[in-house]
Amino acid sequence: MLVPIFTLKLNHKINPCMVTVGRFDGVHPCLTAATQAGKVFIHNPHARGQRPVAHRLSQSTQDSDISLLNINQAVSCLTAGSLGPNTTGDTLLVGSQTNLLAYDVHDNADVFYREVTDGANAIVLGRLGDIQSPLAIIGGNCAIQGFDYQGKDQFWTVTGDNVRSLVLCDFTGDGKNELLVGSEDFDIRVFREDELVSEMAENETVTSLCHMHGSRFGYALANGTVGVYDRSARYWRIKSKNHAMSIHAFDLNGDGVVELITGWSNGKIDARSDRTGEVIFKDNFSSSVAGVVQGDYRMDGQVQLICTSTEGEVRGYLPASKELKGNLMECSVEQDLVRELSQRRQNLLLELRNYEENSKGVSETDCEVGVIPANTQLQTALSVRSGAEGQKAHVELSISTPNETIIRSVLIFAEGVFEGESHVVHPSTQNLSGCVRVPIVPPKDIPVDLHIKAFVGGKTSTQFHVFEITRQLPRFSMYVMGVDPLVTPPCGRVVMWLNQNFLLPEGTSSPDVTFTSLRGEGGLLSISMASSGQITLSTDDVDLAGDLIQSLASFLAIEDLSAEVDFPDYFKGLRTTLTEVDEFHSVHQKLTAAIADHSNSIRNMLVQAEDARLMGDMVTMKKRYRELYDLNRDLVTEYKIRSNNHNALLARLNVNTLFKIMKAGASSSSS
Amino acid sequence: MELHLNRVDYMQVGVTSQKTMRLLPALGKKAMQKVAVADHDGVLTCFGMKKGEPVPVFKTLPGQKLSRLDLGGAPGTAQEKIFVCSGSEVRGFTKKGKQFLTFEANLTESITAMRVSGADLFVCASYIYNHYCDCKDQNYFLSGDKINDITCVTSPHLPRPAPVLACQDRLLRVLQGSDLLYNVQLPGPPSVLELYNKDGGKSTPGESRCEDVLYGTADGKIGLLKIGETSAVSQWEIDNHKKKGGVRCIDTYDIIGDGVSDLLIGRDDGSVEVYGFDGSGEPTLRFEHMLSESVTSIQGGCVGKESYDEVITATYTGWVTGLTTEPQKAEAGPGDELRMSKETQTKVSALRLELEQLQGRVLQGRERYQQTAQSSTAVSAVPVFSINDKFTLCQDDASYSLTLEVQTPIDNLLLQSDVPIDLLDVDKNSAVVSFSECDSEQPNGNFLLATYRCQANTTRLELKVRSIEGQYGTLQAYITPRLQPKTCQLRRYPIKPLSLHQRTHSLQQDRPMNRLSLVGQFSLAEIHSWVVFCLPEVPEKPPVGDTVTLHFLNTFLGTQLEATYCKGEGHFRSDNISTISILSDVLSKEATQRKVNLNVSYDINDESVSHTLRMIHPQLEEQLLLAKKVQLIDALKELQVHEGTADFLIPEYRSILDQSQHLLDEYKKQPAHLERLYGMITDLYIDKFKFKGQNVKSKVSSLLEILDNYDLQSLLAFFSEA
Repeated sequence: MLVPIFTLKLNHKINPCMVTVGRFDGVHPCLTAATQAGKVFIHNPHARGQRPVAHRLSQSTQDSDISLLNINQAVSCLTAGSLGPNTTGDTLLVGSQTNLLAYDVHDNADVFYREVTDGANAIVLGRLGDIQSPLAIIGGNCAIQGFDYQGKDQFWTVTGDNVRSLVLCDFTGDGKNELLVGSEDFDIRVFREDELVSEMAENETVTSLCHMHGSRFGYALANGTVGVYDRSARYWRIKSKNHAMSIHAFDLNGDGVVELITGWSNGKIDARSDRTGEVIFKDNFSSSVAGVVQGDYRMDGQVQLICTSTEGEVRGYLPASKELKGNLMECSVEQDLVRELSQRRQNLLLELRNYEENSKGVSETDCEVGVIPANTQLQTALSVRSGAEGQKAHVELSISTPNETIIRSVLIFAEGVFEGESHVVHPSTQNLSGCVRVPIVPPKDIPVDLHIKAFVGGKTSTQFHVFEITRQLPRFSMYVMGVDPLVTPPCGRVVMWLNQNFLLPEGTSSPDVTFTSLRGEGGLLSISMASSGQITLSTDDVDLAGDLIQSLASFLAIEDLSAEVDFPDYFKGLRTTLTEVDEFHSVHQKLTAAIADHSNSIRNMLVQAEDARLMGDMVTMKKRYRELYDLNRDLVTEYKIRSNNHNALLARLNVNTLFKIMKAGASSSSS
Repeated sequence: MELHLNRVDYMQVGVTSQKTMRLLPALGKKAMQKVAVADHDGVLTCFGMKKGEPVPVFKTLPGQKLSRLDLGGAPGTAQEKIFVCSGSEVRGFTKKGKQFLTFEANLTESITAMRVSGADLFVCASYIYNHYCDCKDQNYFLSGDKINDITCVTSPHLPRPAPVLACQDRLLRVLQGSDLLYNVQLPGPPSVLELYNKDGGKSTPGESRCEDVLYGTADGKIGLLKIGETSAVSQWEIDNHKKKGGVRCIDTYDIIGDGVSDLLIGRDDGSVEVYGFDGSGEPTLRFEHMLSESVTSIQGGCVGKESYDEVITATYTGWVTGLTTEPQKAEAGPGDELRMSKETQTKVSALRLELEQLQGRVLQGRERYQQTAQSSTAVSAVPVFSINDKFTLCQDDASYSLTLEVQTPIDNLLLQSDVPIDLLDVDKNSAVVSFSECDSEQPNGNFLLATYRCQANTTRLELKVRSIEGQYGTLQAYITPRLQPKTCQLRRYPIKPLSLHQRTHSLQQDRPMNRLSLVGQFSLAEIHSWVVFCLPEVPEKPPVGDTVTLHFLNTFLGTQLEATYCKGEGHFRSDNISTISILSDVLSKEATQRKVNLNVSYDINDESVSHTLRMIHPQLEEQLLLAKKVQLIDALKELQVHEGTADFLIPEYRSILDQSQHLLDEYKKQPAHLERLYGMITDLYIDKFKFKGQNVKSKVSSLLEILDNYDLQSLLAFFSEA
């Protein structure tokens, strides 16, 4: 049984995921975390009371080990590490929605302070690709920026959506780090400097990433999934009803291989084997976990795993010693083994009983049990339905029984298609029949496995047979085929690709087809193939074009594909956006100037009012304060205008468009 | 004094019912005892432990499900005869396994509780109690509600041993012969009874004094009663603050070794507790252990190793487990196959061998089963698997808790409801919930569709459901275990119109009451069935007598309801006008469906509305204050961090900061409490004017405004307006 070697109560709340450990003087590790009121606290139990109070830093009155750093803005991410080439200690980097601050805690000085318009949702510090100096890389709204120690913008790229997590990892195994980006459009993207190398589609916002070892990395999603990837192949994943707040790689059992440590929203900490995902250790906090980090906090040469909760509780764990032999939990393996075997025996016995009872035969009249003909087989079919009155366009999954049995209910477990992880169809007792139609509207063009469970039995049964079927929903299922194509000589492979990725009516053999999208306004998509092997895709959707090219290329196993893209609409749109953005910028500048003016007059009025108060001139004071009040109201209105303007600007600026074009280009050139 | 007990698994039998495992008396002092356990397969197993291996003494052939087990014997001798009951039959076995008694009780229902004492046999089957002496019928009693357990007290005050019945309607019925001596009211429906000092009777049976009865309730409370001549005196009671499961079994045994019998408790959420007694005779918790499934029987004794006392438990899936005082071998290097003790090694290899053989047989079975799929005449029918389920109203937070337990791990659970209900998260369960979209306008009538995908090895699921009074229907659960061929079972749980009411036995008479009277051509059985339809905790069988009177308490608001009815007439009195309104709606609807003409009359007391509002007032005020305080906590904390100290704050705010944790806990405990109160006040408002024939739905928004700036007087004024 592994127990914490130290426990601290810091009496400061800790913002989730904003915890780090830094050696700011080059020697003593300090736990650093963002707390309420736009502050960052630094817990330094080693150099008690030596710190001068100046600039941003102030000593906490509650606890002498804690110094508070005033950021005056809601902190959105922070990290610490060595950034400059010849500094002794680590630099603290604090990101907010508008700025990035690099701070030297030891010298009490700003290293640099940069405005970042896209915000900083995630931050990572380290070397990327061939870039010489270590970079502080921040991810914001679609944009990723890297700064060196001078605050120079050394790296810039864009990605599909808001960045939520970043990690540096040698993904390709070339000895240089690639940047892994998890974003709100459910993708993990890998950048070799600014080139998109690989892309993994997940089914929820990627909230955390962490490097395990080699090309292996852990990830966590907003729906409670955590797992491990090795390059682009997923090793394992598990899903919990809680959310993973923080993930970290640490060798807790002392076997030389790191485990994935996950801190959960319900306060649970668990360590899972990187190969199997099996839990080897768990512990509980009374409140949600805020962050999991590591550091030699006792300064005795051993690195501890440090877990923090949002209420400020900190626990440190040492890796298990040899005596524990990797068994970190209280229970005895022997008993567990016996129990597991007995449970298996029990299950087998029950299964055997099921078969024996079944072969004995039951009277047909006993319909409670749900007797069904033994040859009952479920038929499933997928088809595309265009929108009709009162119903949106959808893909229809129909499930039917061949005999008089009924389907009581259908459960479909699938990822990324439904709101939750499952969809249920439960007809009322009057509408029970042997056929159930399930409308499905996949929101994205990804192939989905539908795990179907159908409860089959009689109308009055209380027990039902469960039929389990898995059907794959083709990638481009939301496109209905248009006019019947002319029959041309079949061009095997492309037709096969069409058949695999679209829901086609029976007997389509031509690669020249036209589809109508069931989403939105129903854009057209047409695919045609010339005899020279040239394929022309025409669609208004850039995303779709990129996806199609990628899919087709990987199906045909084409290493090198020359593709030409032309998106007249998008480029036009982009041009107008850019002019609009310019306008917004000028408005923004005007407003900023106005605010500066106002703040000057506030200062004046306040001084005047206070003067009046000191001199006992209450009438003037009142007057001044009233004016101040009016001004304040003006300021609030102005602020509203400003924020509206800013939001509109952001909406326009959504680099998405640009990125999509880039991505489509990248995918066609890389594939 | 610390108590450390280590868990040892002994054996697994089939699914067990409540109180189906006992230890046979030891032959010598500190000698090892044999275990007798009866299961649903109809097998009675008696085994002892030898070198860590279970050695069966005897095992009966499978048959009908065994529902109870008790030990008996001639007075003054060792109580080592084993009695089991199945259906309405009682069988007796000697400790060697020889059957010496088969007795058919000739009851129409299956025996649910049984007690053997000397030549006396007491059996209970749902509502019926029967006493046999030497297999001859002696006494008979028909209880007002289902009987959950029975025990028998002897006392110098009583001429004869008095049976005590634990009845579902929160009463202990103490009998004398065939007659009811008196009732004892309990805080919850009693689920198990046990004599406190059962050893007292051993030495001198003639003057034995067993008058202290321990009870455990389905909502987790435990108490001790002294059964007197005309009344019972409560000695102590342990509340269930930690919201643990219901009590399933109790035993007394001196496991701590301080010379005082300790209390051993087994609950249906798998927790095993040991309570010791301090100097003042108050029970204190000394030890707690969680088993993963509900505990059906518990007893103290010595089974695994000589001279080491232990607590033996049997669980729902048939595991007989000991929590022993024997220290665990510390050097056993787990995960290290070599150091695994020899005993375990042989055990494991034997198990593996058995598994292999089984696997082969199962494969054959599977093949045969699949072959039948080719034939057009064969049918597939999978036997019903057993589910241990419970759907009970928790008094504390006025919500229902649903627990489901299956012998094999659960794969998934589908919940469907045709009434709007809220599904609350329970920390204990780890299953992944997913809510499915449901169009309530469609004829399917689904208001809730949720799936629970369970993690591996989940045999037990606990859910919480919050209902709204006045909206009724059925909650359906489809449980699919991980067992081939895959089947799922449907369980239905009615959500009654007055779902938040519970039975009680006393009413405050001084409250202003509203009355609803029904007169019409209906029988007692008919109106009783309507009452069953409307209210929970009412026995399905109409009670004896011409006139029935039942009392209920609204667990959320504390308002009360009295139902008095007989053939052709029914009267319902409540201080809550909404209760009356719901009743009148549902009853007239029910009567119309059965084509019974009802004459409905009301007697509305305007006082009652302000009375109800005054009753809600303290709750509402407290909740509003709590909400306000909780809202402030974060801001205050921020100020504190900003200023570095909280000294500058006014004392009120400082106290909020000091109590912040407590306040947050309190707030978390009762989610949506305020919203529910608002809803009920709104209902009250609408119902008050409904009886006056006015529709005030348009004024609800101004009512909510008043509630947002709550003040009792202005609320009362608003209610009396219009």
